[in-house]
Amino acid sequence: MPRAKIWGFLAVLLSAALFGLSIFSIFILNYHDFSIFNAVNLNELSAMTFYSVSIPLAAVAVFVLCTGFWIGWIILTIKVVPPMPEIVEKKDNSKIKAVFLCLITASLAALMIYGVYVRSYWALALPALVISAVVLGAVFWVGMAIISTRSTLITNKK
Amino acid sequence: MRVLILGYRGNPYCGGQGIYIYNLSRELAKLGVTVDVMVGPPYPDSLEEWATVYKIENLNMWSIKTKDIPYEKLKRIFSPWNFLDYILTRLHMFPEMETFSFRAFFALEQILKTKRYDLIHDIQSLGWATVPMKGYGIPVVTTVHHPLTKDREADLQRNWGIWDKTTTILFYPLVMQGFVIRRVDRVITSFKEGVDELKKAFRVKKERVSVVYNGMDVDMFQNTGEPREENALLFVGNTEDTKKGLVYLFEAMTMLPEEVTLTIVDDGPPKKMTAGDLIKKYNLGHRVRFTGKLSYDQLVSIYSRKTILVMSSLFEGFGLPAVEAMSCKTPVVVTTSGSLKEVVSPDCGILVPPKDPVALKDAIMKLLKNKKMREKMGKNGRKWAVDNFSWPVAAKNTLEVYKDVIKEYRSRR
Repeated sequence: MPRAKIWGFLAVLLSAALFGLSIFSIFILNYHDFSIFNAVNLNELSAMTFYSVSIPLAAVAVFVLCTGFWIGWIILTIKVVPPMPEIVEKKDNSKIKAVFLCLITASLAALMIYGVYVRSYWALALPALVISAVVLGAVFWVGMAIISTRSTLITNKK
Repeated sequence: MRVLILGYRGNPYCGGQGIYIYNLSRELAKLGVTVDVMVGPPYPDSLEEWATVYKIENLNMWSIKTKDIPYEKLKRIFSPWNFLDYILTRLHMFPEMETFSFRAFFALEQILKTKRYDLIHDIQSLGWATVPMKGYGIPVVTTVHHPLTKDREADLQRNWGIWDKTTTILFYPLVMQGFVIRRVDRVITSFKEGVDELKKAFRVKKERVSVVYNGMDVDMFQNTGEPREENALLFVGNTEDTKKGLVYLFEAMTMLPEEVTLTIVDDGPPKKMTAGDLIKKYNLGHRVRFTGKLSYDQLVSIYSRKTILVMSSLFEGFGLPAVEAMSCKTPVVVTTSGSLKEVVSPDCGILVPPKDPVALKDAIMKLLKNKKMREKMGKNGRKWAVDNFSWPVAAKNTLEVYKDVIKEYRSRR
């Protein structure tokens, strides 16, 4: 088996296992209490430990939410020269959707900051899960592609 | 003088950036400049006659589904920059410029152990890592033909629905370019109005922008001597690009006599539908023809045969078709938008306001009726193109900018 295929299998297995572990440790290990702001008591952690984990995570989450807000804002505010006639004829409700995008992302960002302020477990767990899902999902998907794609080069038997 | 040119795409035969690097590096080398080029794929092997080429990896994964990425590329995805490229392209971003700048930054660190450069010339990539390159103690100059805000606006006009608009906004790295362009030592742009455009788009101070007209191959673009057709208009450009203002040309066509025909150098339906739909709407099917993509020889021939080149643009960062046509002694009718009012001299063609089909029709009719005027404008156009837009002229002017930047940089230190 080519070495790349072995890497492909490893990527699939490892990413699936790590994602399973994330789900287990975030949702199942603390199954006894799912209340939004009290699931795990982070107040026992020292301030230094808590903020060294929460600030980078919150920064990534707020950055992504701000990007969403910024996209909505651009769609709402950008002024362009009139489009071609056949484009004008189509009804485009993207400005209305952009208002909702701005409202939702701004609310989530505020909630995120408040969650970190009150030391909510979920304010850390959910962004961590999403980031893990994106990275591990990418590793998994590439691994699957490596496994299922045929090499374009003929193997040199010698 | 030793200069390092950076470009994230190096194809010397297709794509503005690769052609620019190819010609500029060759002409600079002729002027005695030692040129090194650091480029991403497709790599310009033909440059190696006059420049040292450093090849920077890039898997070009934009708009390719994961399952369609070739196996040889898939094998290489799990390196840090390739993986970042992969993730960002899946999020509909275009990270080629930023990852190129980081790769170039680290490659440069190795090269500088044995070499020294007087200047780094970045060609429109403006990636994040262009800024820390200044930390190597070398001034950085960048070329920006026109700000990408113009392209984004044009795309947003065409987009329908929030998803299309969102992917367009994610695609253009304007925040990065705005941040970087304000921090390089000098910005080169290809037309005078571009100075204001850059200020408007990225808040670049006017005194930090130099204007150097683009070059073109005036030896290749020469009149072939083939007989000129009568009443034959020519349009060269991307018909899907709303900045080209094709709708106004079609409106003008409806007001012109039936014998006036239009040839469009681009793909028509079914590959590109926008122009096709407009042709149906204006009932111009019998008068408009598409050539598809042409080789350089075919392009020179068509410029030499058609009566007038028309550009109905709403914005142009340079207006290469106008210069190519003038170089082939073909008179032009262009709008005054963007760079066109600088690129086309009034004795080489007629300038009309943009978005004015009546003015466009009048100008076309004026030229079609007057053969002598066309011939005179054709001759003037050739001289104008050779004097202002040949690569040796562009390289000489670029070298002047280099000297000025280096002098200013050294006086500051």
